[in-house]
Amino acid sequence: MNQRFRKNQTWMLVVALATILGLVLAACQPAAPAAPAAPAAESGAAAAAPAAKEPVVLKFLKLNDPVEAIAYAKIEDEFRKIDGGKWSYVSIDYDTVSFRDLFPKIETSVAAGVELDLIQADGPDMKHYAWNKVLRPLDDYFTAEEKAAFAPQSIEEGSYKGVFYGPPLMQSCSLMWYNKEMTDAAGIQPPKDLADSWTMDEALAAWQKTTVDSDGDGTPDVWGVRCGQGTWTGDYEHGILRRSAGEKGSPTYAGMAPDGVTFQGYFDTPEAIGAMQFYQDMHQTYKVTPIEPIPNIFQSKKAAFVIYPDNIIGDINNQYPDGNFQLGVTGIPYFKTQLCHTGSWHYGISANTKHFDEALAFVKFASGKEGSRIYYEALRQLPARLDLLNELPEYNTYPQSLVKQGFEKFGIPRIQTPGYTEYQQVFAEVAQNIAAGADVAQQMHDGAKQIEQLLAKYKGWNE
Amino acid sequence: MASTVRTGSSPSWWTFIQRRKTRNYIFASLFVLPAVINFLIFRYVPIVWAARASTWQYSLLGGYQNWIGADQYLHALQDPILLKSLQVTFTYVIVKLPLEMVLALALALFTNQAMRGMGTLRTIIFTPVVMSMVVVSVVWALIFNADSGLLNALLRMVGLPKQIFLSNPHLALPSIITTTLWKDIGFSTILIVAGLKGIPGQFYEAAVIDGANRWHLFRHITLPLFRRTLFFVIVTQTIFSFQVFIPVYSMTQGGPLDSTKVLVYYIYQLGFRFQDMGYAATVSMILLVILLLISLIQIRLLRSNVEY
Repeated sequence: MNQRFRKNQTWMLVVALATILGLVLAACQPAAPAAPAAPAAESGAAAAAPAAKEPVVLKFLKLNDPVEAIAYAKIEDEFRKIDGGKWSYVSIDYDTVSFRDLFPKIETSVAAGVELDLIQADGPDMKHYAWNKVLRPLDDYFTAEEKAAFAPQSIEEGSYKGVFYGPPLMQSCSLMWYNKEMTDAAGIQPPKDLADSWTMDEALAAWQKTTVDSDGDGTPDVWGVRCGQGTWTGDYEHGILRRSAGEKGSPTYAGMAPDGVTFQGYFDTPEAIGAMQFYQDMHQTYKVTPIEPIPNIFQSKKAAFVIYPDNIIGDINNQYPDGNFQLGVTGIPYFKTQLCHTGSWHYGISANTKHFDEALAFVKFASGKEGSRIYYEALRQLPARLDLLNELPEYNTYPQSLVKQGFEKFGIPRIQTPGYTEYQQVFAEVAQNIAAGADVAQQMHDGAKQIEQLLAKYKGWNE
Repeated sequence: MASTVRTGSSPSWWTFIQRRKTRNYIFASLFVLPAVINFLIFRYVPIVWAARASTWQYSLLGGYQNWIGADQYLHALQDPILLKSLQVTFTYVIVKLPLEMVLALALALFTNQAMRGMGTLRTIIFTPVVMSMVVVSVVWALIFNADSGLLNALLRMVGLPKQIFLSNPHLALPSIITTTLWKDIGFSTILIVAGLKGIPGQFYEAAVIDGANRWHLFRHITLPLFRRTLFFVIVTQTIFSFQVFIPVYSMTQGGPLDSTKVLVYYIYQLGFRFQDMGYAATVSMILLVILLLISLIQIRLLRSNVEY
């Protein structure tokens, strides 16, 4: 009996060993090769009748936005109908993440060799991705006429060393929006004409009047202003303050040397320092904006003014479907030169995509007039296509007419450098420290120096 | 007892396996094999890879560019932000750890009494441990909010001035410590309770008969006999404290004025924001060496030969 038990035990041991070995070997097997795709029709040639093809699923890494999801469902449907159903075998698998996680996710996906076809890339980061060869250049696939349909700012943002890397989803231009009930209560009439836009000092007076501390506890119930979306001190809105302190063409206005890596003497000029001192005073001296940002401060009626792009219209409409929010817009305030930062999201085709033809076809359709219209109808943000923008009647009437005018008159891209991610991180910290009361000049000089150290690796990128 | 003699040519490995001692070793190895594979794949191989990456110019998007040897380690010695991060991290650990140990020990001694409701109380104390750190950080950020936070509402109620907790360089780190203390104290308490329950009651009875008071009981029986548990809690909590990241990421992003820029947050910034994963790997190696040294010192100081 003992002998039989020992024999059984031994066999159990052998079977267990073999099972574990088998599991380990199975786990270490390379991924099964993808099924061979059916030969694609020649690019540009219209097929009389679509040949039966293996289904292709394009992986699209993008922002987590429920409104965008609605738009893309429709875009995808329409895409599959074009050219007699030529692309009916294509579908899109969306991998969505929050704004904060999108950039690290793109980085880790590329580093891990994850199969990606499409990326939703922030406009200022296009050069960064192009420099790192993450995106496929698309210059040869967009004609001059097709490119001319986009705003020039979009072409500049989506290009690297003159080569086009990706069309835009939309554009943007921040203006100053306000709650009409609050401004009426304070007896303020913000100008409706961009030519009469307030200077910073005039805007400060309005912010002070609309800052309300009804119980006198030192904490306003309503703040004068919030500069920017969300709670971050990003370059998109906060960089405007700094650059507007310089005359057009000056180093302060440029914000950066033409080489894209020199910041001392551009980022930390006396005018820029003066602008950021004003920014600190808004928090510490005049107390018209909270030091600790409050989420949704304007939409929840805790601030009278906000500097924001025009997607706030959709935001307010969604949060107040009963129309219980009277929204107004006026020009963005400035020190010497009025400006707004342009730029938004772009399509990028991954350099490693195995379905380039399908990805290109989708990008061209989605950024084309029809796709852009579907996108605009869902998100209601400034279109990047001039032909579409000129057709929309709402951009000829207040308030959206101001957004269009601002974009055309004084909209400039954010600083164009492959090191934009690093620059923005440093600037956000500098702005946060300044709001908290740090020495402004010290922060600006140290920030410029740190940015240059981080961007040294890109030296010569545009030569 | 004579073993059965097998006739014919049996392979020697078969005989080897059949021996009881060998079978026992093999069975034991099978039990630990999954853990060993897990450690190899998810711990040791990444450490070796990080050590390699620390000698290259490396970014996630750009890949390995140039081999630069120990240049990044030399750069680390002169990096003011790294030095600041080390200072912040050590301050965090030096303040948080003793507080946590003292409070956890006090809570453990209290809840270890044979009184009604102690089990429920231990559950309440342990509840924060099972909550998501992200959720805890977001909620505490709301509590600390300068204008609409609960803490400032309480301060105003008693006539004290408002405090700006998370945007004040002097208060931001204590706020982070408060948050993590609240979250982690339950874990330490439960471990200490487990250690206390392992001490046989006869020692206490005998000591009481000999005239020992509560302090004598604690000093001469409790402390020596649960030293190993205490050692485990101190070593693990030290390591966890050095690795603090989520509250900083969620609440202060390392600010204001780098006052909460702990080492792991700086590593994250270097790798994902500043596109310098090679230097991030260098700083990670430095952190590893620091933790190894501290753990060795703690093992040396806290080891116990007391048995029962």
